[in-house]
Amino acid sequence: MVPALLLLGSCWELDQEVLDGVTPQDVANSTNPQLINVLKASAYSRIVGGWGAHNGIWAIHEVASDEMAIPQKGADWEDGGLWLRIHRHTWGPSEEAFNNSWNYCFTAVGEINNLIISFPDVELLVAELKVLRALPYLWLIDAFGNVPIITETSTGGNPTNNTRKEVFAFIESSILDNIDLLEKKDSKTTMNYYTAKAMLAKLYINAEVYTGTPRWADAEAAANEVINSGVYSLSFNFFSNFSTRNGGSTENILTLPYDQNNAGGFNLAQMTLHYLSQNTFNLQEQPWNGYASLEEFYNKFDDNDVRKASFLVGPQFAADGTRLNDISAEPGDPDGQPLTFTPKINELSPNAFRQAGARVAKYEYATGAGSSLSNDYVLIRLADIILIKAEAAFRQGKNSEALAALNQVRTRASLPALASISADDIYNERGFEFFAEGIRRSDQIRFGKFNQPWWEKGASQPFRGLFPIPLQQINANPNLTQNPGY
Amino acid sequence: MRNYLLKQKTFLLALALIFCATLVANAQSRTVTGTVMDPILGESVPGATVLIKGTTRGTSTDLDGKFSLDLQPNDQVLVISFVGYIVQEVEIGNQTEITINLEEDIQSLEEAVVIGYGSQDKKELTSAVISVKPEDFNKGNISNPAQLLQGKVAGLSVTRPGGNPNGGFNVRLRGLSTFGANSSPLIVLDGVIGANLDNVDPNDIQSIDVLKDGSAAAIYGARGSSGVILITTTKKGSKQGRADVSINAFGTMNQATNLIPILSADEFVARGGTDFGSDTDWRQELIDDAYSYTTNASVSGGFENTNYMASVNYRDNQGIVNGVSNKRLNTRINLSQGAFNNKLRFNVNLSFTNVDYENINDAAFRYATLYNPTAPVFENTPAANERFGGYFQRDLFDFYNPVALANQQKFNGTNKSSLTSYRAEYDILTNLTISAQYSEDRNNNLSGDFWSRQDFQVGLGAGGSAQRRTFDRSQKIFETTLRYELDVSDKLNMTLLGGAATQKSFSQGFNARVRQYLFDLGWNNLGAGAIRLGNNTDVASFANEDQLNSLFGRANFNWDNKIFFSASVRAETYSGFGENNQTGVFPGLSVGADFTQLFDMGVFSTFKPRASFGITGNLPPSPTLALGAYGNGNRIDLDGDPLTQNDVFVGIVQNSNPNKDLKWETKQEINFGVDFGMWNNKVTGAIDYYVRNISDLLFNVPVATGAPNPFDPGRFNTASSTWVNLADLRAAGFEFAVNANNIKLGPLSWSPGMNFTIYDKTTIESLSAGELGFDELRFATPGSPGQNNNPIIYNRVGQTLGDFYGPKLLGYTEDGQYILSTDDPNEYEKLGNGLPKGEFGLANNFGWGGWNLSFFFRGAWGYDLYNSYRGFYENADGASNTWNSVVTDKTPTSPLVTSTPTFNSSYLENGSFIRLDNLELGYKFNTPGSNLNSFRVYFAAQNLFTITDYTGIDPEIRLTDAENGNGFTTSLSPGIERRNTYFQTRSFTLGVTANFK
Repeated sequence: MVPALLLLGSCWELDQEVLDGVTPQDVANSTNPQLINVLKASAYSRIVGGWGAHNGIWAIHEVASDEMAIPQKGADWEDGGLWLRIHRHTWGPSEEAFNNSWNYCFTAVGEINNLIISFPDVELLVAELKVLRALPYLWLIDAFGNVPIITETSTGGNPTNNTRKEVFAFIESSILDNIDLLEKKDSKTTMNYYTAKAMLAKLYINAEVYTGTPRWADAEAAANEVINSGVYSLSFNFFSNFSTRNGGSTENILTLPYDQNNAGGFNLAQMTLHYLSQNTFNLQEQPWNGYASLEEFYNKFDDNDVRKASFLVGPQFAADGTRLNDISAEPGDPDGQPLTFTPKINELSPNAFRQAGARVAKYEYATGAGSSLSNDYVLIRLADIILIKAEAAFRQGKNSEALAALNQVRTRASLPALASISADDIYNERGFEFFAEGIRRSDQIRFGKFNQPWWEKGASQPFRGLFPIPLQQINANPNLTQNPGY
Repeated sequence: MRNYLLKQKTFLLALALIFCATLVANAQSRTVTGTVMDPILGESVPGATVLIKGTTRGTSTDLDGKFSLDLQPNDQVLVISFVGYIVQEVEIGNQTEITINLEEDIQSLEEAVVIGYGSQDKKELTSAVISVKPEDFNKGNISNPAQLLQGKVAGLSVTRPGGNPNGGFNVRLRGLSTFGANSSPLIVLDGVIGANLDNVDPNDIQSIDVLKDGSAAAIYGARGSSGVILITTTKKGSKQGRADVSINAFGTMNQATNLIPILSADEFVARGGTDFGSDTDWRQELIDDAYSYTTNASVSGGFENTNYMASVNYRDNQGIVNGVSNKRLNTRINLSQGAFNNKLRFNVNLSFTNVDYENINDAAFRYATLYNPTAPVFENTPAANERFGGYFQRDLFDFYNPVALANQQKFNGTNKSSLTSYRAEYDILTNLTISAQYSEDRNNNLSGDFWSRQDFQVGLGAGGSAQRRTFDRSQKIFETTLRYELDVSDKLNMTLLGGAATQKSFSQGFNARVRQYLFDLGWNNLGAGAIRLGNNTDVASFANEDQLNSLFGRANFNWDNKIFFSASVRAETYSGFGENNQTGVFPGLSVGADFTQLFDMGVFSTFKPRASFGITGNLPPSPTLALGAYGNGNRIDLDGDPLTQNDVFVGIVQNSNPNKDLKWETKQEINFGVDFGMWNNKVTGAIDYYVRNISDLLFNVPVATGAPNPFDPGRFNTASSTWVNLADLRAAGFEFAVNANNIKLGPLSWSPGMNFTIYDKTTIESLSAGELGFDELRFATPGSPGQNNNPIIYNRVGQTLGDFYGPKLLGYTEDGQYILSTDDPNEYEKLGNGLPKGEFGLANNFGWGGWNLSFFFRGAWGYDLYNSYRGFYENADGASNTWNSVVTDKTPTSPLVTSTPTFNSSYLENGSFIRLDNLELGYKFNTPGSNLNSFRVYFAAQNLFTITDYTGIDPEIRLTDAENGNGFTTSLSPGIERRNTYFQTRSFTLGVTANFK
């Protein structure tokens, strides 16, 4: 006992070693010249995260809009009715997908704040990080509106909500205060001067929705600066923006650099394709047969519109050319067992046919792909900025400028130029152009279409224009108040 | 064996002769000679001590039990003693040759109860401690020590749903007292805290003692909250100077039982199922009667101050499915040696275990129940031969040929563990003993996973894949104690214990997975897998270490064998605690009084009321939770150019939020009990009532993501949850146990015993601490297809833990659609609870001459189970043309349910059951005189029948749910029977035991 007591006496209290990770102290002591760059990239990697995965922010934007649904195929995709409720705008505050989306955004905010306080004196880094932090806030203001603003100077424990107006001002100032420190160059996966301008354009175009006060001129000015920079140009081949190797696209402004080996989380092939489509693309795993477009949305596309190939419809074949045959096709399915994607979906629930619905084919699915794709996910591209310019100009009565911009996008899609322009023209064009890009819900809200009825969905109340603050977050932070209506 | 010992015996004989010669030299007067005998065995007792009363003069008996003593004029009485026998005094009178028959002291052997850092007479116990001896253990083919106790101890739940020989047992004492930390009792094996149960074979166990209440467990401090189980292995040979050899061998047949009824091929087609034209009983294709065998051999003996026991145990257990097996070889050597007149004692316990195991993908059990019964096992088409190795497979969602699945995936491995402990004790004074113990518990696992190139589920898409993993863990403990015994007065006896300990654990692991093979070389050649990055591949390693320092003390008082009092305290500091909370202190107090010594209690021969209070703790489940270290992020190519590689790094991200306040869980427990014995302790028993309050639970709770971290000021939450101490639970229970010992009914002797527990189920009193707080936490979704987003267990403040919530099924429409009470998850009602109201065990042992018959019933009542098979596969909905349907007694048939399966009240079933858990009939041939001492033949059966209303696979209580969440929340969702559950098995064993001397 005596030796043991002596042993303990000198070291009664113990320090915990970390053998397979690093502590904040280790980070502070590091002299590796690449450290800051890697840390910065790590902060970006939070944003790469789960954008393209099921049950997250992309999913709630898409399924709540009129361009995408997850039909329930018997037991498959029932999932407690979550996707039906989101489709029908009858969701409640405890839906897991909302909480996932919230956590996705705020995890990035926390990581960025930690990085800013670690290197407060590295001016360029701090500027870039503050603009980067505005990006999840751009998503948060759109989805949840009244979210807490948390910066590197925030103290105390649980934050309270800020108003959507305050969040708007925060995003605007985060960008404006730092934009001049950013480089004027094309860097698609990091923040630069033009990305910041593009984000501003997207913020201003929605200013009326977010704050009640439109900022059309500011939106147009920001868009013009991107368009006139000469850095970007519309790709001749629309789909080259979404190919497996789309890193060289001249059109993409900001992308999430997914990689099947190093940066997983983009699961679109799994999410939308039929189980048997595994044989079409020789996928490593069987897809889940979930997301499909709505028939009425599909039918709006002109047959000459090259963008109609954003859908996968018609007879399906294995990679060797043999026709795929789904022996489990429902006996009542008029299309029978040979696998054929039909735009028509017989019903949303409970027994949608397994092969019903046009599938998403905008992104290239590489042969032999795993569950994570290597395509970079496109967050902002030039076509969006051009159409923002068109819309902003149109709202200010500058119809000819608006029409020119709109036609620029239309002609690239092999459609004839329009002679005149209306709000619906812009709205529809955005629909054709940005199908499955997670933009439709915001457009529908801005154009006043979001609460209208569509297939398998009745009219919804205006408060549905904001998702609820996730109940899980209110549970974890009682200082949060719920959005109106919930 | 006798030959082997001959040399030692000769040596001892020489020693004895020298000793005797010395005595002879001193002889002055007459001599007495004699023999010490064990009349029951009819044998002499070598090594017994023969003393002349009132003197220190004496001798010990030789190998033939003989002694010779020179007497002095006043010598009148001899005192003969030997361990395990009642001390006997013999008048010398005028005798010169005396034969002394010693009587075995059964009482003293049975009544010593191990309490941690020592043992206590049962009569002195003041807390709830139960000691279980081998004669009370469960019978049959038992390879896990926990199973020996199943149903035997009131308040101790031991469960293993299904009959997988590789499956572990869930052990819970007095219900649930934690959910984030370890909920299994602490195992103390021969004084080694936290030892791995793999290190002991059931055959080598001498006793198992269960410390049930907080005061008893408090001496184990921050690890005692879930209770403590002390296992003592066989230490010594029964007789000095002789080697006892025991060989036990048995064979077991296992068969699957209680398969859920499903549609036949014809019925399936009639219901609209896709017809592939064959008729296959998939479960018969998958399963087969399995034959297992076990051999235990041990040799034990002792002489002078030496004792040894060596054993070897080999168990070959085969699963009812080809590809499931467990082969286990355990070797043990226990050695103790005394020196300096046995004042210094040295113990060495060594145990080595090697387990080779094989597993299949458990989903095969699900597909065997559900796969299309009209599908053939094989189809002879070029495509099937090329792609699937000839197996029938179809591209349907969640549809895999179970026979192919079982054969084309493998999950095998080897566990090697060793436990070595060394202990020295020295009597500084006759009543002051110092001890030191060092132990090393080492565990190594090497395993491999394999998916054939033709495995439809994973291998085909991956081009074949294989993984190799290794995991290594060690725990080293150094512990010293000082023990002091004092008779303060005639009536007051006091024992004091003080000690210090330090424990270091280290674990590390490595794994690698590759894919795309030309040949199925599997884990034997990972280099033959072409792709080592991305999906279905992995390279990873980890390591962590922690340290725990402890100081502890205990005082026991015995006042005239009437009133007993015990107080203990342990202080512990753990490296894994946050820097703001370093040391926990865990006291225990208990008192008891034997009323039969104070009053006339009539038929009661023992009546000891006792009361105790204790505080125990639970450690964080991982040592680095307080720190929030950075882990690996994505691989980052700084310039984005794949051709330049010196700028590629793995990023770092903080995936957990540090908590500098993180500390131990605290459980306070009050226990009131009575130990009683009646009719001269022919009937004994105990009654206990306890109340426990658990606070500061360790739990990974959702926090405000991105917000300033209140537990690490100045930094921000980068994860959506943080490990904190929060919540309060309350649980209580009543336990009753009674045993009758050897009731004589003519030539028949009968020893019945029964115990039961009634739980006052764990209630969640709060789910908050400081600014953090919740009204409820939802867990456990039924799963794919279609029930991925509907948690069915809501843990709500003010309610019992693990409540099922869901819509009530009000009825069916005419066409078989559900009529549900609501479809709003926030309006769901409480439908049931998966934790039992009570458990019981009922034992009967009969003896008649050489015959013995024992049978043991076990059961539980008052809980619900979610029957996943019914919850997914009983409806005649669209899915039933792909999958077969179950047809249980509870399946509605008129009309057939046509709704899409959704969780509702109809899938919760009462799980209550009573089971004839095991039965044994044996006959023992006594063959005294020959080297073969006894010979016993026995037949045993396990899981003979179960009476239950439950229609799933196994009504056994589900304490945890492996499919739920991150492994730390599995306790929060009890009562779910998952579809991959291994089938129940019934087993029949035939064995022989031979004892040689």
